Amino acid sequence: MDIPLWKFSSTRKVKVIMRFIRISFLIMLNSFLLLAQTDSTAVADSLLAIQLQSQMLTQTPVPPPAPVTRSAPSTNPDISAIGDFRSLYSSEGKKNIETYFNQLEVQVTSVVDPYASANFLFSFGKDSLNGDFSAGLEEATLTSLTLPYSMQVVLGKFKPHFTKVNILHPHAFSFIEFPTMIKNFFADEGLFMEGMSASVLIPNPWDFYQELDFEIGRSEVNASLDHGITNRLLYIAHLNNFFELSDNSTIGVGVSGLTGANHLNLATSMAGLDITYKWKPVQFNTYNSFTWQTEGLVSQTDTSVGNAVKSYGAYTFFEYQIEKRTFIGARYDYSGLPGVERSDERTSSLLLRFQPTEFQILALEFQNVNRNYAPSFQQVVFRAIFGIGTHAAHAY
Amino acid sequence: MKKSIIVIFALLVFSIQSYSQIKIVTTIPDLKSIAEQIGGERVDAFSIATGYQNPHFVDPKPSYILKLAKADMFITVGLDLEIGWVPPLLNSARNAKIQKGGEGYVDASINIPLLQVPTSVNRGEGDIHIYGNPHYWLDPLNGKIIAQNIYNALARLDPEHQSEFQARLKKFNETIDVKIKEWESKLAKYKNTKVIVYHNEWPYFEQRFGLKIVDFLEPKPGIPPTPSQLAKIIGIMKRENLKIIINSPYFTSEATDLVARNSGGKVVTLATSVGAYPSIKNYFDLFDYNVYQLLSVFQ
Repeated sequence: MDIPLWKFSSTRKVKVIMRFIRISFLIMLNSFLLLAQTDSTAVADSLLAIQLQSQMLTQTPVPPPAPVTRSAPSTNPDISAIGDFRSLYSSEGKKNIETYFNQLEVQVTSVVDPYASANFLFSFGKDSLNGDFSAGLEEATLTSLTLPYSMQVVLGKFKPHFTKVNILHPHAFSFIEFPTMIKNFFADEGLFMEGMSASVLIPNPWDFYQELDFEIGRSEVNASLDHGITNRLLYIAHLNNFFELSDNSTIGVGVSGLTGANHLNLATSMAGLDITYKWKPVQFNTYNSFTWQTEGLVSQTDTSVGNAVKSYGAYTFFEYQIEKRTFIGARYDYSGLPGVERSDERTSSLLLRFQPTEFQILALEFQNVNRNYAPSFQQVVFRAIFGIGTHAAHAY
Repeated sequence: MKKSIIVIFALLVFSIQSYSQIKIVTTIPDLKSIAEQIGGERVDAFSIATGYQNPHFVDPKPSYILKLAKADMFITVGLDLEIGWVPPLLNSARNAKIQKGGEGYVDASINIPLLQVPTSVNRGEGDIHIYGNPHYWLDPLNGKIIAQNIYNALARLDPEHQSEFQARLKKFNETIDVKIKEWESKLAKYKNTKVIVYHNEWPYFEQRFGLKIVDFLEPKPGIPPTPSQLAKIIGIMKRENLKIIINSPYFTSEATDLVARNSGGKVVTLATSVGAYPSIKNYFDLFDYNVYQLLSVFQ
């Protein structure tokens, strides 16, 4: 079923090469337009140089500015807007070149009072079917800050702690596409739920970080879960362990489990394991870093009373920061489909990411997708992430 | 049996002593050093950042959450220096005492006469700090204000030992007064020496010791040096006959070395924090080290 590129006829090869050239051109055009911003810096530089030179030539002594105590305080929440623009070439289908604005994410976050903080996240995304933009509420949470016994409670709509990657927003993940197991078992951007999360730091004699999360509520409808027709609730537990191996390297190991209702009003249960190793030299931490992350899950979907289908998903990736603003990475994904026996999807991905500043990320990703239940394909995706305003920092 | 009783008793005494100490977490080691000067053996202080680390970019590791969860006091530089990593740590710390507004939350920048407070802010200008330049601990006189802020918090948390803290504060201020005269006199004849620096983090040091910062290797704060900027700096150094380029421990030496090679200048790496080098064990050592380094390139 899978046909490698080198087995195509020469006419097909030419077509593929031409398509590749077209998409490369499109991507280069996008990159050029975005990098033009950097060139404007160069113009500003030269203007600055002229101003500086003229100032130095005149040798006019400039009095030091009078010290000022501080800016006016404000109770406004932190507001940020993050744009996600993409260009795509896929070897699949007739219309296989796309260039589109994928999503706008607006986040509003603030402390509510001495006891809690709040976070609202709206997304304006493009509908893949009709191309229209629609607004949605992705997250709305109230988080306690002062509960005793190292406890924390979150209420509202949020991305639960099932697996490590699920809680990330797409712009915070190293790769453009979310792991296949997350997309296949839940949805393109993962699992969302409405309910409550309670977590506690577990004291232990070795004094390492250990956090237990327990979440309860109702899941958004996705490939595995559907609580729309039942009173069953979704239960999730996640145990996160974190160890500092040295000043420069850390390892995190987590286990997760969930159980909830599926589309047949029967039970779906899942278990997950995540391991993340990070290396970052403390002294030059803005220049080089390395991350290796691997996760796996097993899902059991009840299809009728007494009958269940097991399916699996996993991914592993590394990412290396080769200099201050450039990262490379590779990922391998394996995933089945929930409730579908012998389904099999394997994806290899290569990533190149350039970050002019922490407010702008340009990335290029190549993916080779092989599936035993649908045609295989290759795709090249370009993504530009750009943010304005004050965006809350992401967890480690 | 006798030995076991002694060991148990020692552990008990030790644990009682540890329990009675005020647990302090600071963002940078300079604040830890000053807190230790004022608190003495009454405090047990931990700094999240190391002295050779860029304080703008620290990873909010979960292990720091554990430290913050147990802390009685949290001391921050403030002015948004740590905006990229302190908020997620405090949000996850589950500790009411050290949240902003809590009795153990200390913003060390209170009452600091700030420099470079922008009248308007635009990210096109790079990483501008909206409240002013946050590297104020690099003026030793500001160390006295920091010490006062820390003293206020210690006296609030442990009024029983207020007089002890007050005595230490007095001693700290006296030492600063003595040392500052020594440092100023050593650098007096180099007053108004023009220098180039990598990042805009020396205005307080510049003001105190009379250096003249002409330009930066970063074209804009936080933006890595560009070829055009380096060429501009080389031109300025040649034209103005400047000889000194100041680097910081957490910036690589590629750009500074390149400029030095092409301009005939010298690079000096100054310490930005306590612990940047093994010999810098406290806040006074920081200035001893930097003054010595500057003298070695000025002479």
